[in-house]
Amino acid sequence: MAASGEPAARAVGLCKAYGSGDTAVLALDRVDVEIDAGRFTAIMGPSGSGKSTLMHCLAGLDKPTGGEVYVGDTELSRLGDKALTRLRRDRIGFVFQAFNLLPTLTAEENITLPGDIAGRRTDADWLRQVVETLNLGDRLRHRPHELSGGQQQRVAVARALAARPQLIFADEPTGNLDSRSGAEVLGFLRRSVDELGQTVVMVTHDPNAASFADLVLFLADGRIVDRLEGPTADAVLERMRRFDVRGGSQVAQPAPDAD
Amino acid sequence: MLKATLRSFLAHKGRLALSMLAVVLSVAFVAETLMFTDTIGSTFDRLFRSTSADVSVTAHNDVAGRNDQNFSGTVPTVPASLIPQVAHLPGVAAVNGRVSMAGIVLTDANNKSIGAIGGAPTIGINWSPGPNSPVDLTSGAAPTGDGQVVVDSDTVSKHHLVLGQPLRVIGATGGFPVRLTGIATFNTTNPGATLVFLDTGTAQRKLLGHEGVFTSVDLTAARGVTNEQLRDRVAPVVGSAYDVKTAEQTAKDAAQTLGAFLSVIKDALLGFAGIAVLVGVSLILNTFSMLVAQRTRELGLMRALGASREQVNRSVLVEAALLGLIGSTLGLLLGVGLALGLIKLIARGGMVLKGSQLAVHWPTIVAAYAVGVIVTTVSAYLPARRASRISPMAALREADTPGRGAPLRIRAVVGLVVLAVAAGLLVGAATDKDLGQAGILLGGGVLLSLIGLIIIGPLLATPVIKLVGGWFPRVFGPVGTLSQRNALRNPRRTSATASALMIGLALVASLSVVGSSMAASFDAQIDKTIGADLIVQNSTGLPFPNEVGDTVAATPGVGLVVRGQGTRGALVAADGTQQKTVVVGTSPGLDKMVRIEMRDGTVATGTAPGRALIGSHYADAHGLHLGSPVTILFQSGKSGTLTVGGIDVTDTNPGGLGDEPVIASSTLRQYVPGALDDIVFVNVAPGANKEQVKSALTTALAKDPQVQVRDQTDYKKLVRGQIDLLLNLVYGLLALAIIIAILGVVNTLALSVIERTREIGLLRAIGLARSQLRQMVRLEAVVIALFGAVLGLGLGLGWGLAAQRLLAAKGLQSLAVPWSTIIAVVVGAAVVGLLAALGPALRASRLDVLDAIAHE
Ligand SMILES: Nc1ncnc2c1ncn2[C@@H]1O[C@H](COP(=O)(O)OP(=O)(O)OP(=O)(O)O)[C@@H](O)[C@H]1O
Ligand SMILES: [Mg+2]
Repeated sequence: MAASGEPAARAVGLCKAYGSGDTAVLALDRVDVEIDAGRFTAIMGPSGSGKSTLMHCLAGLDKPTGGEVYVGDTELSRLGDKALTRLRRDRIGFVFQAFNLLPTLTAEENITLPGDIAGRRTDADWLRQVVETLNLGDRLRHRPHELSGGQQQRVAVARALAARPQLIFADEPTGNLDSRSGAEVLGFLRRSVDELGQTVVMVTHDPNAASFADLVLFLADGRIVDRLEGPTADAVLERMRRFDVRGGSQVAQPAPDAD
Repeated sequence: MLKATLRSFLAHKGRLALSMLAVVLSVAFVAETLMFTDTIGSTFDRLFRSTSADVSVTAHNDVAGRNDQNFSGTVPTVPASLIPQVAHLPGVAAVNGRVSMAGIVLTDANNKSIGAIGGAPTIGINWSPGPNSPVDLTSGAAPTGDGQVVVDSDTVSKHHLVLGQPLRVIGATGGFPVRLTGIATFNTTNPGATLVFLDTGTAQRKLLGHEGVFTSVDLTAARGVTNEQLRDRVAPVVGSAYDVKTAEQTAKDAAQTLGAFLSVIKDALLGFAGIAVLVGVSLILNTFSMLVAQRTRELGLMRALGASREQVNRSVLVEAALLGLIGSTLGLLLGVGLALGLIKLIARGGMVLKGSQLAVHWPTIVAAYAVGVIVTTVSAYLPARRASRISPMAALREADTPGRGAPLRIRAVVGLVVLAVAAGLLVGAATDKDLGQAGILLGGGVLLSLIGLIIIGPLLATPVIKLVGGWFPRVFGPVGTLSQRNALRNPRRTSATASALMIGLALVASLSVVGSSMAASFDAQIDKTIGADLIVQNSTGLPFPNEVGDTVAATPGVGLVVRGQGTRGALVAADGTQQKTVVVGTSPGLDKMVRIEMRDGTVATGTAPGRALIGSHYADAHGLHLGSPVTILFQSGKSGTLTVGGIDVTDTNPGGLGDEPVIASSTLRQYVPGALDDIVFVNVAPGANKEQVKSALTTALAKDPQVQVRDQTDYKKLVRGQIDLLLNLVYGLLALAIIIAILGVVNTLALSVIERTREIGLLRAIGLARSQLRQMVRLEAVVIALFGAVLGLGLGLGWGLAAQRLLAAKGLQSLAVPWSTIIAVVVGAAVVGLLAALGPALRASRLDVLDAIAHE
């Protein structure tokens, strides 16, 4: 599926610096990026390259130190905490690497939590469809500590989907899973894009995971250094290898004349 | 290791702050109680020492002690003729006849009473300063003749009296006008008595009723003669009809009477302090349990790095002891502040103590540190043991999942057994006939039921919280669900937190049941036993001059008037054994005013001149029948043999008329001349309006502000007011325990918020607003507080019920449950929850989302 119309989210000249003075770290360095609606975008890059930071800024979890972030046509820097909270609640879904679920709530209650918080009823048919697809039917009454890691991640994905958000952000959602459970979760994310027109942004280290995406963005030292449309695992791996060499050389030569 | 402990103590100082506060408050309360009562004791000691003559001679009396002088308004006296007998003895430097009479009244020209009514006494004294007088005339002149008076400077300045001002003194023989001619100043702290000095003749005539008598003869020892030597010289001269005491003995006797009273107050206050300490223990135990749970990994790492179990154990205990030491020190300081504040406060109520004379004895300091350090180390012992059992593996494991904890089955069994025993004891207490034994059963039942409920609390948490918080999800949506589940997450912790609150609320509930049952029983008692339309009485029950009764009888609209007197005395059995009692005198018609259940004879035959109405217990014990002789020793020292003219049923008669003999006033006055009325019953004349008669009496008695005219409704109100006052005082004292319990709720919430940082981050990330998060913490606090309230009320109602049944034999026949108090407690508990959640909720809502998600 190709990009169509308005981007679901975009960043213009996005900067994020931690600390100040000599010890300042520039986690994002003037990033311009568009997340196309109805597509599955993967973000890759070496550890510390700014993937999580980028995702947090796009999702309204973190305040950029420069530039602009839009979700739809809402500019985030002007929003206060209340509006940002509402934006996350109504328009964004999250899947984190670990600790995604509230231990006191059952799987089902976790899934419907964002809707419940907003005071909306989750569409029952849709919920059933999500639950069936994720194969969670017989686990709904269980508490998180009674579920396996893969099951927990599937519940987290179901939660992200249940509220039908404009955008789903997933930070290494399969990082803690074996390849089989990981593939299940990724397959469902893929189907939600294809069949439901969902927009998904996923941070990953795994070329196989990235191959489920429509587009891979490569990040290094807080900048987008490459992009790959319609990736396969091999193509990603090959890109990464090249990129690793380049990344390595960058580390070896701290001078600004690199690149 | 000590360095690591210190560092850990400092690192956790925020989390220990509330435990520290609990220690500080408990210790402060204990220290304040000790310092306060010690200060009262030492102030009075100084006063007694300075006011006691070197040697004093008083009339010996078996039934009426010297400190009992205001009972019936007559006192044993010493004739003036004794003075020349002792004046010439070697070693006597000076002799003074002393008249000293408590229970008089001083009013201003508008008949408003000066000096406390019902508080510190007003004492009438003859102006006759000896060589070591405790008072000096600081302005004006000494009183001479009937119309002059000198008043102590504290009273003068408190009531803004001026020299020359007209006043009135009401003594045993009635009231008389005086003018203020001088002001006397104490040279030691006068804790609040109003002192009225009259010239000797006036004092004798108006206060004692005769010239030529004194209440005591005071001797001053010459230089080089000890008080003991002087006493030994005087005693044989005056003979056995008189008591001869040295200043030390007099002061000691006075201090003993006061000491008994003070130690009751001290024990009561320490009891409340003990409750606060108990609540503090649960708070500290909970804190250390949570800290140990949160530090599982850290402690596991210490073990992995080679620390022994004992070292881990010791490190937790040392941390606790440090907490106790610092807390005790601060508590002691706060205690000094509180004691000074209390001294200021009661000075307004009329008892004057000097802050500069605050008594800080070393036992107070020892007690403060003992309480602080022992409480903290004992409370930390269990958590410390748990900490030492943490295996080195714990350092590697993931954090705990909820719903863990050892099975609660053993707890359930032990708790149920303890509760069953407690219930048995309480039922036993409620049904036991022997009051003393029932009291012990009640005490045991109260203690065991408390312990049982604390043991079983974690098991009750789930059902009770589902009950009291069951409607949360429907009303508050997912926030309600989350808060309810959070409260249920660690039932032990929730229940430990709630049981602290439970203790205070159980006491409030049980005391309020007893209090309102008392009021209801008294109402019923009045309805059942009092037939009089109106009653005239002194507000403190003291006697009043007989002119009051004369005024009442002369007031238009008044029908039958019955005047009663109470005097000390003893019933003397055939074998000579004495049973001390109150001998009641009454004019004819008592049966028209009070319903007395008679077994033999009638009230009229029993109270005819020369007869006695006695109780059935005494009659049966001594084989007395109608017509039997009964010997009574009166407080005047005379004894008389009367004829039993009636026998009442001891058990069913109103308080004050149990086994006490009632005789005719005229007979009583043969033996106790000058016995004063202490109650006047009035029935209105046929056709007269009760309200009109009441206001006519009130107007007629305006010159005697110490007496009040009351009908039955007024009496009920008066008693209700007194009970309420007492309850409020007790609630006030329980407030400390409740405050510490609230600190416990705050503490638990604060530590829970720290524990759940990651969850809070997640909730915020998926869109929970700050206000919703605050709501969640608040509701959790409310549910914990309500849990404590439900347990406390259940327990308290049980205690109250048992106590009421137990006291039913003692007149507490009606059970009344004060629903308004119960509702107030529930609402109050919810409010307490909201208040306790303020800090933790704010803290939770201020957490940075990303930091929280990344929190370890
Ligand atoms: N709170 C913070 N304070 C200071 N520096 C930070 C903070 N968070 C991130 N950084 C720095 O910003 C840079 C980007 O971090 P980020 O977490 O976005 O990397 P990442 O690409 O997600 O890495 P990984 O693959 O390891 O998750 C890193 O150099 C990191 O050290
Ligand atoms: Mg990351």
